[in-house]
Amino acid sequence: MSLAAEAFVSQIAAAEPWPQNATLYQPLREDQILLSDCASSLAVQAYLRMCGLPVRVCCRANAEYMSPSGKVPFIHVGNQVVSELGPIVQFTKAKGHSLSDGLDDVQRAEMKAYMELVNNMLLTAELYIQWCDDTTASEITRQRYSSPYSWPLNHILAYQKQWEVRRKMNAIGWAGKGLEQVYEDVSQCCQALSQRLGTQPFFFNKQPTELDALVFGHLFTILTTRLTTDELSERIKSCSNLLSFCRRIEQTYFEEDKDSQSAGSQYSRGPSLF
Amino acid sequence: MGTVHARSLDPLPMQGPELGVQADDMDLGEPEHEPQQEVLENKDVVVQHVHIDGLGRTKEDILTYEIADVFQAKNLIDVMKKSHDARQRLLRLGIFRQVEVVIDTSEGEDALPNGLDVTFEVKELRRLTGSYNTMVGNNEGSMVLGLKLPNIFGRAEKLTFQFSYGTKETSYGLSFFKPQAGHFERNFSVNIYKVTGQFPWSSLRETDRGISTEFSFPIWKTNHTVKWEGVWRELSCLARTASFAVREESGHSLKSSLSHAMVIDTRNSAILPKKGALLKVNQELAGYTGGDASFLKEDFEIQVNRRLFWDSVLSASLWGGMLLPIGDKPTSIADRFYLGGPTSVRGFSMYSIGPQSEGDYLGGEAYWAGGIHLYTPLPFRPGRGGFGDLFRTHFFLNAGNLCNLNYGEGPRAHLSRLAECIRWSYGAGIVLRLGNIARLELNYCIPMGVQSGDRICDGVQFGAGIRFL
Repeated sequence: MSLAAEAFVSQIAAAEPWPQNATLYQPLREDQILLSDCASSLAVQAYLRMCGLPVRVCCRANAEYMSPSGKVPFIHVGNQVVSELGPIVQFTKAKGHSLSDGLDDVQRAEMKAYMELVNNMLLTAELYIQWCDDTTASEITRQRYSSPYSWPLNHILAYQKQWEVRRKMNAIGWAGKGLEQVYEDVSQCCQALSQRLGTQPFFFNKQPTELDALVFGHLFTILTTRLTTDELSERIKSCSNLLSFCRRIEQTYFEEDKDSQSAGSQYSRGPSLF
Repeated sequence: MGTVHARSLDPLPMQGPELGVQADDMDLGEPEHEPQQEVLENKDVVVQHVHIDGLGRTKEDILTYEIADVFQAKNLIDVMKKSHDARQRLLRLGIFRQVEVVIDTSEGEDALPNGLDVTFEVKELRRLTGSYNTMVGNNEGSMVLGLKLPNIFGRAEKLTFQFSYGTKETSYGLSFFKPQAGHFERNFSVNIYKVTGQFPWSSLRETDRGISTEFSFPIWKTNHTVKWEGVWRELSCLARTASFAVREESGHSLKSSLSHAMVIDTRNSAILPKKGALLKVNQELAGYTGGDASFLKEDFEIQVNRRLFWDSVLSASLWGGMLLPIGDKPTSIADRFYLGGPTSVRGFSMYSIGPQSEGDYLGGEAYWAGGIHLYTPLPFRPGRGGFGDLFRTHFFLNAGNLCNLNYGEGPRAHLSRLAECIRWSYGAGIVLRLGNIARLELNYCIPMGVQSGDRICDGVQFGAGIRFL
């Protein structure tokens, strides 16, 4: 989106309050969604819950193509469509909901740096494992990704996506990495996060920020998703404070689901840590 | 007896059929042969030999079917007629650039006194012909490159390739065509294509990649086409501001469908006919041969033309169609019908009638449209007998409706829904015929029965197209 368009959108957005029928779109939860998309979607859901903004989760097989940026998740609020965490944070800010207003400039810069770290390391590692590790790609990723489509479109789309991701990995220099090296990168990233968190409840003292939502989204999803090996989740489990961080956020922001989920509500998420 | 060139029988220049130009529109009087008839009509002749000169890669066996009739001729006039017909049939194959007929008395040892030899002097088309065009459309320019290999295996097969490279979209198509020897109308073709279309009235972009195979064959006076098509369709929003209803339709789908089309066409011309009628019925069944779109689609087109006083023609047409989803999946925006615009219900904007969401038209599952036209020559008939004959003035009355059907309601409720809120319009304008394939219209229209959400074009409307109500 161009800067002018962005400014225009946020101006319109500011004029209207957050509606009750806001909807978040993501791929089909049971058969289709992939680790990386699930993590991004959970991060956005966590962020909106931290802001106290209600959102209904809607699963669509074509969510990726419905999204204006081609990436999931995206939210449909009023007649606005906004995709990915960054723009969504901007969008809610324009509506007067922000988690990072209490931070000073140094903290805000630090928060942005850690968010970049998560996106560059965890998200990229997830994509790498999904599409570049041949076992995972053939046993899990391609099957799930193409599950809504009929033959031969399923194979075409899956290989097209794989080729696209591999090209991206080439461009950022990850193509030459081995699986072990990727796990090592994830470990380092987790250690950095673990050190920054220390014994605090959230990354910046007592108040959650979008960084907390992003880290929770990725770590929780990795911990609760079964892949071909447990290697990835083991790396995270070695940082005990990150584990308790995930549990804390789950309890604080997702706990009420337990009751409403059984009541048949649309709100839900992946399996619990407990 | 001297040499008679059958060419002189020909009142007009002939071209191959693939140019899309047919001579059927002209009031083709029978070749003038009255004076000779008196002398030659009753004189028996025998066609002894038929030669075809100038063949290169063409196999002779397919030509024998086309010229066999010439041997049946019993007198000179008959020979000339049959040779003329044979020449038309040869040209229709689309493999010769030129065909000339020479009729001469037989010579040699076995020559009969009343024996004739007919020689077709043909010039084959080149092995490879190419074309290059540039096109400019709304905010888009494109370059179209066409390659054609006529008569590629010597039996009137044709391989064509078209590639269009535009500032926005790239499309291509490869098609192979093979007629049955001796029955040019019975043919088979295979197409592979990628086509991208932008539909601003729906804020939709559609990219189709597909394969289709079709058989065409005549039965009695009708022409039938049976077709299988497999298309990978990719829909996306044309702009960020597209309505959410269109956004929801985005993504990939696979359509595999069997369709059958039947056409009876007795009109003297496809564009601005003066007499005759057209009936076209098309049905498509998708989903039984794979893919994820399942529906049954039926539509028809009727047109009747009647010549009135002073060269004017009264023409009435009726279109209608219905799309029935099979299973519980709703129909796709790409399969539904659209109505409105200068080629259907005039006075409304292009495809801007019926269900819509935030200004994007979503199409309907059932429609009908009818029109009555009175075509007359231009007032005071300027350019009569020449350029002026390409123009007609017309007065029209169009009507139509498009809606979605709730299939629980039953046929009676459907009919009543199609009968309520009818859009109609009337007006007058000028029509220009472009060859025998397209026409341009400039009309003054007065739309009536406008429903909320319809986009109208009150006043002057310009239209171009190949299919008109």
